[in-house]
Amino acid sequence: MRNLAKRVIFQTLNDKRSVALILIAPLLILTLVYFLLGDSDYVPTVVLDEDAQEQLVEAFEEETLVVKQAAFDDPKTYIEDHEDVDAVFEMTPDGTAITLREPSTKSSKAVREIQDALTTLNPAVEMDTAFVYGEEDQSTFDSFGFVFLSLFSFFFVFILSAMALVKERSGGTLERLLMTPIKRAQVILGYTAGYGVFAIVQSIFIVLYSIYVLGLASIGNMAWVMLTMLLMAGTAVLFGATISVFARSELQVVQMIPFTIIPQVFFSGLIPLDLIPYGLGNLSYVMPIYYGATAIKEVMVYGSGFAGIWIYLLGLIVYAGVLFLLNMRALGKYRGH
Amino acid sequence: MNIQLTHVEKSFGEQLAINDIDFTIQSGEICCLLGPSGSGKTTLIRLMIGALAPDQGTVRVGETKMPSMSMLRQIGFMPQNDGLYEDLSAEANLEFFGSIYKLGKKALEARITEVLALVDLTQDRKKLVRNFSGGMKKRLSLAIAILHKPDVLFLDEPTVGIDPILRRQIWDQFQTIRAEGTTIIVSTHVMDEVLECDRAALIYNGRLIAYDTVQHLLDQTENGRVEELFLIAGEQEVGEHA
Repeated sequence: MRNLAKRVIFQTLNDKRSVALILIAPLLILTLVYFLLGDSDYVPTVVLDEDAQEQLVEAFEEETLVVKQAAFDDPKTYIEDHEDVDAVFEMTPDGTAITLREPSTKSSKAVREIQDALTTLNPAVEMDTAFVYGEEDQSTFDSFGFVFLSLFSFFFVFILSAMALVKERSGGTLERLLMTPIKRAQVILGYTAGYGVFAIVQSIFIVLYSIYVLGLASIGNMAWVMLTMLLMAGTAVLFGATISVFARSELQVVQMIPFTIIPQVFFSGLIPLDLIPYGLGNLSYVMPIYYGATAIKEVMVYGSGFAGIWIYLLGLIVYAGVLFLLNMRALGKYRGH
Repeated sequence: MNIQLTHVEKSFGEQLAINDIDFTIQSGEICCLLGPSGSGKTTLIRLMIGALAPDQGTVRVGETKMPSMSMLRQIGFMPQNDGLYEDLSAEANLEFFGSIYKLGKKALEARITEVLALVDLTQDRKKLVRNFSGGMKKRLSLAIAILHKPDVLFLDEPTVGIDPILRRQIWDQFQTIRAEGTTIIVSTHVMDEVLECDRAALIYNGRLIAYDTVQHLLDQTENGRVEELFLIAGEQEVGEHA
């Protein structure tokens, strides 16, 4: 088993693309996600009627808004004609009306700022918001960063192991290997251990980078997050090995990503599972990423320790165990079983 | 070590790949499995090394019934596609496969040097296999197959895509290995190579149509060409169906 793990490590080190895939790609994408989901300094443009009260205009100008005044008949056609305008605010006989371009983050930002302006005019409707976990002003990256930790520790190791094993099958090395007196369990464990070494380095890279460089907040102990990531990576090696049975070439591994990885992205915590209709949320139990992502969320967002996550870790271990047995069966084919 | 096949049958789904094959390969000989592609040569080899279990009949290597885990130590196998780790050096490939046989570090080092010299790759031992030419890969693949000094060596179409000069060299190496007492089973569809062997087994549509010394087989033909045996077999088959 040791010699196989050693071979996997040397083999991967000799292939620069694999090393980049496992060590650099996660950091690159994490950085990209950080900027994409980070705080935006966009200032929405709101148009008020040219006859609006001075007090109202001043309250609007206090907020992070570009305030313009104009004469218009129909706010909808006005927005259509003026590309730079996000919202039109009117006082009507029955109260107030906001017309927005489209349901988007820009629009919701405009609404938020307008509500703040109205609150300053009428402090009685002021509402304080408080969160038990997390903070009001945290960016989307802060809220969802944990999802990417679990996703990356799974995805890249999966790709690497599935491709390497397809290559072993099609290149005849697996056949040759199984015509030596090596035990099947040694083959599978050797693989898992070899990629496990990369998974350890990868999880250290990702965790240190996201906390110290990107400033991702965690209230729990990061050691538990790393442990979870390692178990995820181990499961990913076995998952990749299982998938490789169904692929004849590396290209086919890529073709199977829509079936193997993309559904898991949606169940990784990006969408709260209770919001998924028709009980489809229950599908998450067959997805390894659910166990990892939930455990990581428990630690980073709710500050849980081992007591709070052991059940998810157990879930991952059971999952890995099932995949291990499937792989044992698949390898038996080469030995006349 | 001899190999006995007793009424061996193997099918894949509906397809009967090996149809009642019964013969014995003598210890210390070079036996070639000759037949057109798709005739069942590779399946027969896989049955003999124990990668497949027969549906009917038995395969024995020496006294041991195949498939057998313990027999794998005495068997050398050179697969049709080279079966090499492209991202490792020639040396690292040999070290890895050698480590499975637990030869001991010193002994393994010495043996690696020996087999590299035999297949004439001493100069290239540190090179990554992905930079090897087709012929170099074949030779390295052979080196791995004989690394643990097997008693029986199986070679599945070892000279496909190899130029005539290199083919000559590779056959010289087979003769050297055979001279050390190793039984060699080699599959081929190149008729010239038959002349290098002691005996030939002619496989046609999953059946053994002839098994004899090469000289006897050639005596049966008009022009001394092995191809004729297949033509005769084809005609017989048509006759049976008529």
